[in-house]
Amino acid sequence: MSQVPNKIEQLDAQFAELLSGWSIYTTILVILISAYVVLPWWFSKDPDLHPILLSRQATPAPVRNAGESATYRSVETPYGFPLKSGLGVKDPGAPRWARGRDGDLRDIWKQAARDPLDQTGQSTGQPGKILTVLGKEEVIEHNLADISRSISIVGSSVQTSNGKRVAIHLPNSLELLTTIFAGSFYGFTVILIPHHQSPSSLFKLLAQTGADTLVSEAGVVPLSDLVERCPSLKSVFLVVEATSRHIDWNPSAEETKGKLSVSIWHELVENGPKDLPLPDNLPEASETKIVTVWEGKNSEERLVEFSQKNLAAAVAALITSLPARERLNPKDLFLPVDSLCSSYPLSLTLAALYSHASVALNSVAGKGIDLALATRNISPTVIAVSAETAAAAHRLAKGSSSTLLRKYSHWLQIRSLKAGVMPRPGLLSSFNATSRPSVGETPGKLRIMYVAERAGTDSPPLSSSDLNDLRVFTGARIVYALTAEKVAGAVAQTNLYDYRRENGPTRNQSHFGGPLSSVEVKVVDTPSHKTLDQGQPQGEIVVRGPAVFGGEASLGVNGVFRDDHTLAYV
Amino acid sequence: MAEGAQDYSADVPPVAAEAAPIMAPINMVLLAVFVFLVYLRLRPTPPPTLPKGPPPTVFRTFTPRTLLPFNGENEQPVYLAVRGRVFDVTPGKNFYGPSGPYANFAGRDASRGLACGSFEEDMLTKNLDGPLDPLNDLNDEQKEALEGWEGMFEGKYLVVGKLVAAGSQEAKAAEA
Repeated sequence: MSQVPNKIEQLDAQFAELLSGWSIYTTILVILISAYVVLPWWFSKDPDLHPILLSRQATPAPVRNAGESATYRSVETPYGFPLKSGLGVKDPGAPRWARGRDGDLRDIWKQAARDPLDQTGQSTGQPGKILTVLGKEEVIEHNLADISRSISIVGSSVQTSNGKRVAIHLPNSLELLTTIFAGSFYGFTVILIPHHQSPSSLFKLLAQTGADTLVSEAGVVPLSDLVERCPSLKSVFLVVEATSRHIDWNPSAEETKGKLSVSIWHELVENGPKDLPLPDNLPEASETKIVTVWEGKNSEERLVEFSQKNLAAAVAALITSLPARERLNPKDLFLPVDSLCSSYPLSLTLAALYSHASVALNSVAGKGIDLALATRNISPTVIAVSAETAAAAHRLAKGSSSTLLRKYSHWLQIRSLKAGVMPRPGLLSSFNATSRPSVGETPGKLRIMYVAERAGTDSPPLSSSDLNDLRVFTGARIVYALTAEKVAGAVAQTNLYDYRRENGPTRNQSHFGGPLSSVEVKVVDTPSHKTLDQGQPQGEIVVRGPAVFGGEASLGVNGVFRDDHTLAYV
Repeated sequence: MAEGAQDYSADVPPVAAEAAPIMAPINMVLLAVFVFLVYLRLRPTPPPTLPKGPPPTVFRTFTPRTLLPFNGENEQPVYLAVRGRVFDVTPGKNFYGPSGPYANFAGRDASRGLACGSFEEDMLTKNLDGPLDPLNDLNDEQKEALEGWEGMFEGKYLVVGKLVAAGSQEAKAAEA
């Protein structure tokens, strides 16, 4: 019995002896430990999205065919539900419970030109803006009613000259957007020819597409060559920069040989009728196509004719792919830093217009663009860039963060991303700020950057840690999308809140998240990649759905569905 | 004076002359705790993973004979065929499984039985190697009943295969 009290006394004595060593250092240590425990707890934030939600990012069908994987779908439109086929436009007077129409580009423009409504259904009186960035200093704000008027003037002009296929060879500009919408309202097909194409390949594409009308910048393509090389061409619209309008661009008779009717865009619009409403329902309008040029490996060009339905489905899926609190809204300013001739930047621009966000257009857009240059004078909150541009920004920023303090600050922010929290620019991160690619100016703060990987091309791979670096450098969340030739919009894109970093040397390219809600994706067996009951299904990526040209398309690249149901290259 | 000082120092423990010891045991203990806490925070934590779901069922082509084993006995799933489509009715095992009221249908073509509202053996096609029941003799009411059942199955159960007659082209293709 006396053993136990003895032991306790012994312990007590030992403890007292331990405590007898208490000194000022001990106090400091205790304070340090409690600070280390309490402070992070005090300042810690919940991750932007619960990690469990990132561990299943798509829903596979419960049944699969032999020789292929189950079809994977967005969590928005799981197995058994219809894929998203359109915008769900509700006409005024339609019953409240009615399912909206799929809609087309006309509905997108009508929605953009209308004032946005607030929660109570009242007009806020602040329509979205369309801005054009010119050179170093000038930013022009356009009146939406004026744009509607140019759409109808240009559209009716093409209509009277009986144009059915209109090729557009313009940089990102208001005229490009205007012509696309004019095509939808007046029922002609538009062919988007990338602006960087040389005249000779332009001629080839014009002949290939059978274009009868061309919208081009004045002075870029010699008219006499056009007459000679493109016999199918009947009329040309020349867009003249404001600074060159004093020159008479009307061609001489010997240039056109009487075979080509040439109109000058700004003269046409200035002299056009003051009040020309947009046609409401031309029967052929819903059948018009948007032809894009896909530049594959070795600058091989392939044409894809997207229907209005393809684009409407893609736009609708892109709008709802963002979490509700992050969706594009009237406060946003969207800037495509990639050519609008590709379906992904185009669909995002249309999504921004449909969401009443403001849209800025800058002719500095395409592949491998300097972000700082593209966003001079303008502070977008959402941008769409090519993988080349993102890779260039990453190289630039990575190269400049060399000092110890910056490295530490960068490390802290990456740690925050690892914990699932987008780092806020704080005191320490400001040490890292100078190394950032400066994107835009105050007051807008860049919040989302869309980066497009183009399947089966030479676009540079971005790894998950590259993407995290970019998140830190730009302060924006990043959506990395897999885009493909025959799919309007994107096939799949990463969750906005997915900052997980993959380890291992094999992961030199990030995954692409789950499919968008307008498509379903499966992988089909190839000799080297198969779907088995065990392990991750692998094979050639096949996409199906309303956003796909022809309904179904094989991408020609091999993919794998990982355990979190995200799609990645093998 | 020196002597007095000596006397004085004899009363006080000599530790006061030294600086407070950093290496005291308690400091060591606390330091260890601190290092452990830092380790806990910095150590990489694997992201949470959910257990993998069951692999998707492979869509198959059945003949009446190959469908037969899927009657719920010996831990097999319960399948039944309606107008050429094979449904996995395992979730409704209490009805379609062994000793359930509709147990006769398990692993068989149930079309005629469902149409006629009869769950007896004589509703089933006897010859497993013969052609499928063409169901030509059903009256409108029976056809309607069959469609109703089919709609219910579609909403509730998965189609995991199709049923073809033994010896047909499709059956041969599936075997190959």
